[in-house]
Amino acid sequence: MGHGRYIAPPKGQYQVQSGEKLELQYVILPGESRDLEITVDLAGPGAQAQVKVLYLCRADEKVRIRVVMHHLAPECHSTQLINGIAGGQADVRFDGTIVVAPGAQKTEAYQENHNIVLTQEAKVVTKPQLEIYADDVKCSHGATVGQLNADELFYMRSRGIPESEARTLQMLSFLSPVIPAGREEEIESAVRSL
Amino acid sequence: MDKLLEIRNLHARIGDKEILKGIDLDILPGQVHAVMGPNGAGKSTLSAVLTGRPDYEVTEGSILYKGQDLLALSPEERAWAGIFLSFQYPIEIPGVTITAFMKAAVNARLKAQGKPEMKTGDFLKLMKEKMALVQMKPEFSKREVNVGFSGGEKKRNEIFQMALLEPALSILDETDSGLDVDALKIVADGVNTLRSPEKSAIIITHYHKLLEYVQPDVVHVLKAGRIVKTGGRELIDAIETKGFDQF
Repeated sequence: MGHGRYIAPPKGQYQVQSGEKLELQYVILPGESRDLEITVDLAGPGAQAQVKVLYLCRADEKVRIRVVMHHLAPECHSTQLINGIAGGQADVRFDGTIVVAPGAQKTEAYQENHNIVLTQEAKVVTKPQLEIYADDVKCSHGATVGQLNADELFYMRSRGIPESEARTLQMLSFLSPVIPAGREEEIESAVRSL
Repeated sequence: MDKLLEIRNLHARIGDKEILKGIDLDILPGQVHAVMGPNGAGKSTLSAVLTGRPDYEVTEGSILYKGQDLLALSPEERAWAGIFLSFQYPIEIPGVTITAFMKAAVNARLKAQGKPEMKTGDFLKLMKEKMALVQMKPEFSKREVNVGFSGGEKKRNEIFQMALLEPALSILDETDSGLDVDALKIVADGVNTLRSPEKSAIIITHYHKLLEYVQPDVVHVLKAGRIVKTGGRELIDAIETKGFDQF
């Protein structure tokens, strides 16, 4: 159980104890259909976890992301941010569950999943769930599936940025909260390949 | 003198709604034109059509810019040709810094003109110089475009971009809305500094305040999709005292 950020294996079960912080970061690039299944148990008071996922897919690729965040002890903190872009006929599904056990008071748990579909044929299903059995908690989740913002695109083009370049910039802008430090160029070239 | 812009019988609509119903407008190099009118007159539609915003359809008429058919150009081609719009509501672009944004804009134009990209050092120096013009603090260069900016900061950012791109035709769409007097003066000073015998501007507003600081050569009153009156600065006073109903 590290304190640093690292690329974790696609299936994992993690126990985070009191005073520890787990940081998981996943990058799924085009060409690698992936099935992520992550379970985190926040087992000791004050334990913290952060999960970030970036996915990019195209053609007939499949991406499955499942995250179960168990708040088992009081005063634990968790954040999840899953942002991705689906092109081609890609098929994406996100299932995210936050479970707050009885007695896990003062829990703070946040989950966000934002998706952009580039084509009519790409498909994204997102299913965020909250199961809360304690009464003194702060929890929120948000999920969006949308297209590239037309106003942003026009703003950039009006400054002379060609449409294709503007779309790339927009996608990088959308992904920026989940791009790991040091991998900017790799992600940029993957975005250009969509 | 050759006209910079020549609008003839321009009709435009968005969806099924006809908004511009026959606009004629000529602009010479170096001229500043004010287009004034009540809400819903079609002022923003005019700026949208000039800059090629999708969703607006020109149904009749023509626009010549430097003698060429403007309506045949994409928004980015219009920018390369020297047209700039200061947005009424500047757009936020999270994750993209002002430096990255403007560098992409400047280099795209150079590339389109078949010229080499600007060196980063030269670009940063130019940026700093132009930011000073609208009193933007240097640290803004690292901020994400318009994210968390106040209304005044957003408008100053627009004028900074205008200064950097040095357009031949600037369109200022309600640039004065939401500005306090201090911000208004900074914006006006920026615009005045950029005036030259070659550069023209269209100032769209329903408010006389900016026009006290940036004095137009020609004033047009736009109402219900048509220019109903054209004159000099005396029109600004007439509007201020009696409103738009007199036209």
